[in-house]
Amino acid sequence: MTDQQTVAPPAPPEEPGTRSPRRSRGDGSHARNFSAGFLAKLVLVALVDALGVYGILTALAVESWGIVAFLALALVVVNWVYFSRRAVPGKYLVPGLLFLLVYQLFVMAYTGYVAFTNYGDGHNSTKSDAIESIAIQTETRVEGSPTLPVTVVRSGDELGFAIVQDGEVEVGTADEPFAPVDGASVDGDRATAVPGWEVLGFAGIAEDQEAITALRVPLSDDSADGSVRTQDGSTGYVYQPTLVYDPETDTFTDTATGETYTPSDSGNFVSEDGDRLTPGWRVGVGFDNFTRVFNDPRLTGPFLQITAWTFVFAALSVATTFALGLFLAIVFNDPRVRGRKVYRSLLILPYAFPGFLSALVWKGMLNPKFGYINEVLLGGADIPWLTDPWLAKVSILMVNLWLGFPYMFLVCTGALQSIPEDTIEAARIDGAGRMRILRSMTLPLLMISVAPLLISSFAFNFNNFTLIYMLTGGGPNFVGTPVVVGHTDILITMVYSVAFESGTKQYGLASALSILIFVVVGLIAWLGFRRTRTLEEI
Amino acid sequence: MRRSIPLTAAALGITLALAACSGSADPADTETSAGTDATASGTLTMWVDDTRINEMEPVVAAFTEETGVEVELVQKASGDIGKDFVAQVPTGEGPDIIVSAHDGLGEWVNNGVVAPIELGDKAADFSDSAIAGVTYDGKIYGTPISIENIALVRNNALLTETTATTFDELVAQAKGTGTPFSVLIQQGEASDPYHLYPLQTSFGAPVFEQSADGSYTDTLALGGPAGEAFAAYLAKLGTDKVLDLAIDGDKAKQAFLDGQAPYMITGPWNTSAFAEAGMDISVLPVPSAGGQPAQPFVGVQGVFISAKSENPVLANELVVNYLSTEAAQDMLFEEGGRMPANAASAAKVEDPILKGFNDAGSTGAPMPAIPAMSTVWAFWGATEAQIISGQAEPAGAWNTMVTNIQDAVDKV
Amino acid sequence: MADTAVKRDLQLRGRRWWLEVGWRHVVAIVTIAACILPLLYVLSASLNPGGTLTGSNQLFRTIDLENYRDLWGRGYGSWFVNSLVVSTVTAVGTVLMGGAAAYAFSRFRFQGRRSSLTGLLIVQIFPQMLAFVAIFLLLLSIGDVFPVLGLNSRFGLIAVYLGGALGVNTFLMYGFFNTVPRELDEAAKIDGATHAQIFWTIILRLVAPILAVVGLLSFIGTFGEFIVAKVVLQRPEEFTLAVGLYFWAADERTARWGLFAAGAVLAAIPVILLFLFLQKYIVAGLTAGSVKG
Repeated sequence: MTDQQTVAPPAPPEEPGTRSPRRSRGDGSHARNFSAGFLAKLVLVALVDALGVYGILTALAVESWGIVAFLALALVVVNWVYFSRRAVPGKYLVPGLLFLLVYQLFVMAYTGYVAFTNYGDGHNSTKSDAIESIAIQTETRVEGSPTLPVTVVRSGDELGFAIVQDGEVEVGTADEPFAPVDGASVDGDRATAVPGWEVLGFAGIAEDQEAITALRVPLSDDSADGSVRTQDGSTGYVYQPTLVYDPETDTFTDTATGETYTPSDSGNFVSEDGDRLTPGWRVGVGFDNFTRVFNDPRLTGPFLQITAWTFVFAALSVATTFALGLFLAIVFNDPRVRGRKVYRSLLILPYAFPGFLSALVWKGMLNPKFGYINEVLLGGADIPWLTDPWLAKVSILMVNLWLGFPYMFLVCTGALQSIPEDTIEAARIDGAGRMRILRSMTLPLLMISVAPLLISSFAFNFNNFTLIYMLTGGGPNFVGTPVVVGHTDILITMVYSVAFESGTKQYGLASALSILIFVVVGLIAWLGFRRTRTLEEI
Repeated sequence: MRRSIPLTAAALGITLALAACSGSADPADTETSAGTDATASGTLTMWVDDTRINEMEPVVAAFTEETGVEVELVQKASGDIGKDFVAQVPTGEGPDIIVSAHDGLGEWVNNGVVAPIELGDKAADFSDSAIAGVTYDGKIYGTPISIENIALVRNNALLTETTATTFDELVAQAKGTGTPFSVLIQQGEASDPYHLYPLQTSFGAPVFEQSADGSYTDTLALGGPAGEAFAAYLAKLGTDKVLDLAIDGDKAKQAFLDGQAPYMITGPWNTSAFAEAGMDISVLPVPSAGGQPAQPFVGVQGVFISAKSENPVLANELVVNYLSTEAAQDMLFEEGGRMPANAASAAKVEDPILKGFNDAGSTGAPMPAIPAMSTVWAFWGATEAQIISGQAEPAGAWNTMVTNIQDAVDKV
Repeated sequence: MADTAVKRDLQLRGRRWWLEVGWRHVVAIVTIAACILPLLYVLSASLNPGGTLTGSNQLFRTIDLENYRDLWGRGYGSWFVNSLVVSTVTAVGTVLMGGAAAYAFSRFRFQGRRSSLTGLLIVQIFPQMLAFVAIFLLLLSIGDVFPVLGLNSRFGLIAVYLGGALGVNTFLMYGFFNTVPRELDEAAKIDGATHAQIFWTIILRLVAPILAVVGLLSFIGTFGEFIVAKVVLQRPEEFTLAVGLYFWAADERTARWGLFAAGAVLAAIPVILLFLFLQKYIVAGLTAGSVKG
């Protein structure tokens, strides 16, 4: 191909006139294929721009300022990258990076944000939601009060209820207590027409639902008598609030005792003597979640043991799956093995089934009395595969090997193809043994592409929640510890036990703990990755 | 920048086209009828789990026909409904209504995502335990639609009569049949406090104290001499091999299906498989082990309304005025075959198996819905497992557990 | 060259054959047996309408295709199609975007290259504990602007999956790209080929094996993913296979293991077929390509 070419001028040929001289520098990428490649790019970028501009307009309309800012920035970047000469690598990176930025980094940022809040059970939403919830939860029906068939009526913008008291129709609104009206018609115990008011049918009620359920009509001038409200638009009950919110002072007051509840820094209304109202709301708590890790005695107990096992588990998982995967990849990379196509396909079977299903099956197979392993394979042995602290660890590693080797097998099979066969052949002719070729030629070459995968596989297993949770649930449990953790728990499952199972869900604490774990694993990964630099060519 | 001209033009063109498309969708929303007729327009979103969606479909279809209100059923996994409800209601994107087991109620109330309802006189149409299940802190939050509990299931091919008045007698009778297992109670590595609860209550050690109105307080009641006696009994059942951690739910079900045990303590979710396999079974109350009545937990399936529903009136119409009725619960029973919570509907059920479960559950108490309960499960199961397997000394382990649970509950 | 090698090796006989080739068959059979054994429980459960998953070691007591017939009345067919579409689009997108990024990292030297590579690796390690809340909130806001990328949309789900396109797979490709001799691009560049031409017409063909591997990994990963999918998709007609199957097993008490197992068995078929098909690209080898280049 190169032979046909005469010596080409290093600079790109002259512009066909449409391009400004400033642009003639650079890589000359569009010089020749202006018609096809450039047009394709033009159309694609135009499409992206159009979507972006449309998105900005829509986002402006719904006032999503975050999206507006992101789209505007993205548009500038995309257009600069694709029409600039300087940003050639960018042209290849931007699409993937944009997706990464939106979907992955958002999750990270959100987790980071939550780690500094008390988000979790009891602190689930905003303060206004909490006030509303407390108000509706503490409004109680006046004991012994009757069930009132209510007719919802409207006059202009004002809504009211009409009820029948002693055969007489009375109408009231939010401001006016019930008062008799003349000339109304009654059907049974329900008012059907009220002069001066329009009676709303079901459809009319359905259109103004929130206003109607929010309406409280005082029974009389004395507020202690309570007020009537309806939830379904046809039946009313007399209610009396036990706590009243005052927006001026931002406090709740108990109508019976007069006790006041004021908002606290931890996101609850709290009385003088420490009674908290639920729900609370989400507030920032600074580094509280992080410091709790070091102050909570429940976490310090088995912490070291669990940390050690986490590292052992992750490292051995990577080592075993990689060793088996690589071994099999090499074994079947020999063209003389007939049927290897089918062999290979069957080897990835464990990978093709849902992981939690496989974990359940393994759990059944490892059952000490009735499992296949003991009952059939070992002829009725009574080996406590999942209930002995050491055997449970072995079992977990074995099952993880079964689940994980196909991945390594696939990766190694692919990566092996980059190793030129003639080089290996030459070494063999030179008399190098099989192991020597593997150790000094195949492995180093393979490591170039596979090393980062091993690091990320380590990180994955470090946080392999599903396997532990499905197979042993962390058990066998330590006896009598103040938080339920066991011999096979790893850090992430311990976080789960502490933050979710022992009581309420504490997303803030869980986030903080998982960020701490991330810092540890991230550091290890970073160090490991720095080492791979030496393996890299160039 | 001449090149940007075609670009801008193209961008503008597509933008306009997109805007036109989106614009045409709007008028549909603003089109509303201000009529006052009996039927209304509107759509309610309702989350139902996979196992109940089929029975709910015809019932809400009948509601739509009657009122004109559409109900969109969204299928959720039963384990996700409560969690997603808590997460999504604050965003304003959650459902109007959920159908769920009642045991998450405390969590929803504490998170302010569920709205109280007023059943009024209709509350009298339900059994006490059904109402207690949907009540939290003295307020009713949902309409109960079905109840379920565990009981003793007998394989009539192996034994036809049960005269035992105590659990020990029952075990002795069962062992007389010579089958590999006597009374199957599903376990697992973390035991199963739910299935052991009838035995525990028969020692007078319920998990929490109940106040006069049937609602739970967060004062633990499973400790003390009664709790220690139960722990000792667990250890005895463990040594006698009546209880075996190796017998998990799958194994217990299969063993009973294979005729390897005359008795099994289980719930109605398994009996349909037994019936399909052609077994002849009877359902009986669990005999007492400790002298007091053996009370299983009663699970209540309820319908609950979101605190942030935009259709509160329609939602109340469906939940309070429609699904509570005898007619609606009859229909749910016909489609789903679960014991209705409405007493009048329940009285019409003739299936001896369901009646057997209902009788066994009549003494039961609802599963506690207080948030402290979630703390209890993990400690409870782990300790029972250690006692049954002989790893821990019964009374000591039980008392440590009570202390640990109390500590954790105090932190909630 | 390969042909003659095969011919020569076919003549291996006896001890020599066992030492060179035969033992590989033994390894294959033993490993495959270990792979298949646990899956026999799944197959057995799928053929037993009322049974349990691991309740008994007497496998294949009943052989009844009822579960397989039952699947189709429950939306399984459309879930299958959804999964194929979502996984295929995601796999293709991942290969293209990941491949492009790997090309940039391998062939260009730019500021921040090394730190972006490290960054990519670190991002993958971040625990996804809160992903289900975060993704929900994100798609909720995106849906206000681009409904097609919001909740309840298969496109929305694909976009979330593409967020992981530049991940650990990029490294696999990056390493492989590095083994393609740079002289090839240099030569092409001297010919006047643009970087785009080099990428699309030379490099991509040479790295076909790793593209096939990455495509397969991405396909399998997406095919089995249900945690994010069940947050995004809420209507049964939009479900992917993994979400639909998860629902059948979600409630332990009423789990329909037979149905679930039947669904899982059928779901494994496209994965195996895809691998069988892709193998010819995976093992085509670099050397064959570079000779032509």
